[in-house]
Order: sequence, then C-alpha cells, then structure tokens
Amino acid sequence: MQNFISEQNLNVLLEQLIKSGKRVVAPRVNSGTPLYEPLSASGEMDLKELPRRSAKEAFFPVCEDILSYEKVGLNVKLSDVDPARFPETVLVGVRPCDAAAIPVLDAVFSWDYKDQFYLERRRKTTIVGLACTSSDDACFCSGVGLSPSTTKGSDLFLTPLEGGGYVCETYSQKGEDLVSNYKELFVDTTSAKPLPLAEVRTETFDLKKVKAWLDNNFENSYWDGIAISCVGCGACAFVCPACHCFDIVDEGAEKKGQRRKSWDACGFWKFTHHASGHNPRDLQPKRYRNRIMHKFKYYDDKFSQTLCTGCGRCIRVCPVGIDIATIVEEISHK
Amino acid sequence: MNNHAALDTSIYTAVTEAIRVEAQRILSEGQVTAVIGYAASRRKGSARPVIATDAVAADKLIFTAACVNNLAVYLTKAKKDIHKGGKIGIVVKGCDLKALIGLMGESQLKREDLYLIGVPCSGVLGSTMQPATELTTATIAPKCCECDVHQPTGCDFIPSVTVPSTPQLEGKYSAEIARLEALTPAERWSYWKEQFAKCIKCYACRQVCPFCFCEQCLCDRNKPQMVDSTPRPSGNTAWHIVRAMHLAGRCAGCAECERVCPMDIPLNLLNRKMAKELKELYDYESGLEVLEKGPLNSFAEKDDQSFIK
Repeated sequence: MQNFISEQNLNVLLEQLIKSGKRVVAPRVNSGTPLYEPLSASGEMDLKELPRRSAKEAFFPVCEDILSYEKVGLNVKLSDVDPARFPETVLVGVRPCDAAAIPVLDAVFSWDYKDQFYLERRRKTTIVGLACTSSDDACFCSGVGLSPSTTKGSDLFLTPLEGGGYVCETYSQKGEDLVSNYKELFVDTTSAKPLPLAEVRTETFDLKKVKAWLDNNFENSYWDGIAISCVGCGACAFVCPACHCFDIVDEGAEKKGQRRKSWDACGFWKFTHHASGHNPRDLQPKRYRNRIMHKFKYYDDKFSQTLCTGCGRCIRVCPVGIDIATIVEEISHK
Repeated sequence: MNNHAALDTSIYTAVTEAIRVEAQRILSEGQVTAVIGYAASRRKGSARPVIATDAVAADKLIFTAACVNNLAVYLTKAKKDIHKGGKIGIVVKGCDLKALIGLMGESQLKREDLYLIGVPCSGVLGSTMQPATELTTATIAPKCCECDVHQPTGCDFIPSVTVPSTPQLEGKYSAEIARLEALTPAERWSYWKEQFAKCIKCYACRQVCPFCFCEQCLCDRNKPQMVDSTPRPSGNTAWHIVRAMHLAGRCAGCAECERVCPMDIPLNLLNRKMAKELKELYDYESGLEVLEKGPLNSFAEKDDQSFIK
C-alpha cells in the first residue's frame, strides 16, 4: 500500500508515538556523533548523516544484563531479566543498508538457540526504513546486491520527496498497522517528485565466485598481505550492522552482581584465546581471514545469506584504512 | 559558509617523489628489508600503511595530508611479524619520530636497526573518515596546530624541501585543557563521565598506540579480572584512567588514539594534560631524547615532594 506523509506530519507521528509510551529510536546527533538513539522529542531526529553505529543495537545492545545474583545467607538468589519489560519500539529513519541487516541477523538469533533478548525486542519493533539519498565512496551496498532503495527489513519504507515529505510503502502487517493507527497523518496522493537516490558506487560483486574462492583458500598468502597492517581492534565489528559476536561475563562483587552480554570482535587477540593458553588464531591475518570467511562463506553455508550489507562503516572507521570492498572485489577476480 | 583557510600542502608532491627514490635505493641496495610507509588505496584521497619490500611497492609510496598514521606502531612487540630482524626503513613525521625516540628509550627498538625517512610536514587531517577532505584550518589535526616538529631532525634521510610557514593556528588542546581546569572537580568529573560513557571498548585507541605494547593488557586479563570488560561506566572509566596513567611521561602526542576513536572521545586531552603535569613537575617532555628512565621511573632529590603530607 502506498501513502504520503508530510515532513510536519512525520514529526506529529513521532510525537504521538512518544506520547503513547512507545520507545522511538532514530538517528540523532549526540555531542557531535550521529547515533540511533531513543528520542525524547521528534525535533531531535537528524536524518542527514548515516549514524556512526548501525541500527542493530535496537535489538542487540552494546551491553545488557542477562541476570543478576545476590548472596542471601547461604543461598544465592538469581533474578532473570524479564523480556516482557522491553518497550514497544518504532525504529525510524533506518537506512537500507541497516534495515537489510536485520533479517540477516534474525537467522542467527533464532537458529539453534532462540535468543529471547533479541527476538523479544525484534517482535516489539516496527522498522521504518528510509531510502538513501546520499552516499560516499566507502558505500558499496550495490556491491553486495542491495541498493539505496532496498526495502528488505523495513515494515514501512519512506522515500524522501523534493520539497519535503515522503512516499510511504508498507511491507508487513506491522507497517500497515502503523499507518492505519495514525491514518489521519497520511494522504493518498501528492504531486511532489521523489528526490534522486544516492549514487550507486560499485558494480555488483560476484559473491558466488567469492565464496567459491573462500571455500578453497583457507590457507593462502593473500591473507598475510591484506591483514599485515591490521592493528587488531574491534572498530570494524562494532560499527557493522551484521557482526553479532558477543561475550558473556559476570561483573560485580562477592555479594551481588550481574551476568552481562556485550559486543565482541574476531579481530581481538583475546577472542579465541583458550583457557589453556593456546590461541588457534595467533596472528592477525588469521583473525582478519575469519572476518571475511564469516561474512562471505560461513554465513552463506549456514543461512544462505551474506553477512555484509555494504554500509561502508568499517572502511570509514578502520584506523589503518583496510577496505573490505576492495578485498571482496579482488577475491571475486581471483 | 567557509571561513576556514586552505593550508599549503604543495610540498607533498616533492616529498612523495623523494620518499620513493630513497626507498627504492635502500631496498635495492639491500640496506633494509622493508620500508614502512603509506600508499593510496581505493577511496579518493586515501592513504594507508604499507610495508614495501621491493622497488615496485616503493614506487607506490606517497605522502599526503591523509598520511595520518603513526607507523611506529608497526615496530613494536605487538607487530612482531613485520620487523623480523635486520634494518628496516620507516617514513616518519616529526610527531611519529617522538614515539620512536620513546620506544628506543624503553629498549623496544635500537636506532641502528632503523633507517629513518623523515617527512617535512605541513600537517595532516584530523579525521580520515572522508579522506578526500582538503586540509584547511578547520580540518587539520588539532595536534598539528601545536606542532613544533614540522621539520624533523636526526633522520637518515630527509627530503630537501622547506615546509612553508604555516599560519598561526589556535592551540585547541591548550584552550580545552584551560577550560577544563577552570571547572570544579564535580563539573570536570561529569564531563569525563559523559565522554567515557560513549566508549564501546573497541580498543582502537589501544591498538594504534605505539606505547601500548604490553603483550597482555591489564584490561584483557581475566585471571583475575582486573578491570570490568563490558562497555559500562565502571570498566570504561577504569580503562581510560589506566590508559592515561600508563602513558604519562611516555606519550609523545601523536594523537592516534583520538583520531581513531569511532565514538569521538577526546582522548588526547588526557594525554596532553598528563604531558603538561610532567612539564610542570619535572620540566620533562617526552620524545625529545633517548632516555632510559623518564622522571616517573627515577628519583631525584629535587623532585617535588609536596604530596607527602
């Protein structure tokens, strides 16, 4: 179903959602850094820049408690986090590269173990995607088969119009419910033309060829060459919309504390450090190889999907300028 | 609207040419096993660290305003597979050279193992998220505004190029430190709490730092867990204080930690504040000469003892 909403009415919609007690998460500039964050007023939304971190944290936060413990006399009292308390959420202004990553993540979080923390937030969230009208030369969504107008992952999808306002298309029941609950804010027709979409920056990579090469080249000197400069931080994984590794630790004191889950990254030396002292990925090229293998082979083997949406964030933030788009393109020509 | 003046980087063409010729010469004569330098990559205006081991790779070396990295990190214990022995060449800006001098003082490097290609430098970008950015008074790295080593000395080779006189730039660190010093402790604490809350524990600051060469960082230890590992207030604060303290008297101000922080935490402010304390207490500046023991590793009777009450 196609509708239109004016700039002003979108703000009214956000205000009404906030007033109704929903958590509204949208791009917002927090002391200079754009991030997807809960809004306290619609005016805080700032759609100009791609947020520095992806939208995955609406479902998979940087850090969360999974239980708490307390010593009471000779017993230990455990309290679970109650996912029923996760708020109903509307995630607004999600770029196609971020929205498309969410169905990709669904696969792993509902696979052998149903991750209630992720899935409950996911169930309670309506995703309002936004067609992309600006790109830079780190962007490569087209390389992995997506585009500035990909609607994958969106319940409702907005396409900006010249002079303000948006075309709204619904792609799920959640999207339709959002429109029908606030139907007075939407209109059926408009004469405004959509804004030109962001420039497509790359040819589509032959991901089948990439995978075929990865299938046969776990051992290859190519890995040493591309990863010799990698310093082994987690910046690429932490800004990535699709990376989803996490660590679980207990923090607190003897009497009470929390069990917590927080983002982890395969670039870290510690990531595969065994209790025995052995580290099967003892050198950085082995760790970087895992990053590429996981995105373009293992995830495909397991879920028939690619664990990369071409947002380009890892390229922008890499301290040493490692460019995953160049790497995938090079592999596709091997 | 643009009130910011473009800065003169015209010398970088000649610097690039000179680096290439020299790197090719020392590689082909077998003087060094490799030259650590910068080369362009796919994105317009980009530069990334490379390890050139032959003349073909040496011919691709560049120097531009996007050559931000402190390449000294590749000569530390953290990167054992690069400097395997023998003599190695490295392209260094004046600020990077200070880190190498510090590492020599800490017995991490020997001068005779290095072939230093010094870079006359007008300044580099503060951020390379968009590497095609023009170098202006607004985009220049804050460290360059307070630079005293545009023309490095004590190298094995320096292109004979004169750095054009740079306009007087506002010292952003000194101004910001003065602003923070004027706050009450509670206000200052609240400022840093807000900054540390942004940390996601990606450790990019640690991994690019030439002085963070501990083979196992205190913050990675879990037998016992010394510092909470999750990105929450206690662990974040502990990490950033450990970092600042561990770098006091050592950090030479390359500001790589601050440049690479994906959350824009002004990390070099802590380092500059520590450097200021060292200057005031011991009249010491790191990175100026190879010293086995800095003021925090030694005792002199004239040291300030007013803290003993």
